[in-house]
Amino acid sequence: MVFIAIIVGCMLGAIIGIYAPIVPYTYSGYLAIAIIAALDSVFGGIAATLKKNFDLKIFVSGFFGNAILSILLTFLGQKLNVDIYLAAIVVFVGRMFNNLAMIRRYYIEKLATRKAKKE
Amino acid sequence: MKKNKIIMTIIVGLMCLVLFTVMFMQFKTIEETDITAIENMRESELRTAISEWKTKYEETNTKLEETQKSINEYKSKLDKNEEASELVDQELQESNMLLGKTDVYGEGVVVTLSDNEQQKIKASDLIVLINELKYGGAEAISINDIRITNDTEIAFIDNSYIIIGSEQRISSPYVVKAIGNITYLSSVLSLKDSGFIDKYTSSGKTVSFETRKRIDILKYSGDMSTKYINIEEEK
Repeated sequence: MVFIAIIVGCMLGAIIGIYAPIVPYTYSGYLAIAIIAALDSVFGGIAATLKKNFDLKIFVSGFFGNAILSILLTFLGQKLNVDIYLAAIVVFVGRMFNNLAMIRRYYIEKLATRKAKKE
Repeated sequence: MKKNKIIMTIIVGLMCLVLFTVMFMQFKTIEETDITAIENMRESELRTAISEWKTKYEETNTKLEETQKSINEYKSKLDKNEEASELVDQELQESNMLLGKTDVYGEGVVVTLSDNEQQKIKASDLIVLINELKYGGAEAISINDIRITNDTEIAFIDNSYIIIGSEQRISSPYVVKAIGNITYLSSVLSLKDSGFIDKYTSSGKTVSFETRKRIDILKYSGDMSTKYINIEEEK
């Protein structure tokens, strides 16, 4: 059920995105940061699901909150002439790798236990 | 429990939708701007590029202004030149008119001398007449439509025929046209006893005289080149 929702949402989003108007280049930087933040939330959500402590409220608030916060921080950095978005990228991508590592380990362990059971 | 799951499904689906929409928008934006290679530049680079272009633009603008200024100068100079050349043209025209290089017209007199049985017209008669006409202020003179200029000579060859202007042979009747003030010319020519007409008619030569409002005198047709005179250079 959830998987179907994810797939449908992804496809619809892709179609809408392709036919949506182009964002001015000046703002595409903010959008990129927002996307990174959102992706980080998604991986965090997957990791939480695997850990069995997934909370929808935390997930949704993290998804939008992180995106908006990163946009605001980037905007602030622009005003201060400091590349704050670099810090945001480092944090988000670092967390993404952490979560990915966790997901990877979870499935490897799962495979290993399955093999052990078969034997 | 089931309700919660549906809500969660919808929310997750919506989030995916939002995420992918934004992502694809971004992909498209980057793809479109990739063409110009601006994408590779950072803002500071762009700024320096802009300021460079700005200075270049300003330089070009000042250059343009300078060029326009010099163009205006040239234009005014050209106008002056045109004025000068107009003056020169006018002078040239006047000189040509005086020299006899142009066809001219004006009021004047026509004196016709012709041979008769007793008396033939001699070159000296014509010379005297021309002198008289010049004395009377004639500005252009022609004999039988040959213009009398500064270097026209009138010669009597073999006591039989007259040539003027080196090689042109003329014969009776000699029609002498002169442009000038009619009053002066006619009074000079028709002075009683001592005037040209009286003098010559009394000596038996055929002289007729008339005044005209318009006399056309043709230009000098020979060439006017000089060989021996040079212009004295001003010190």
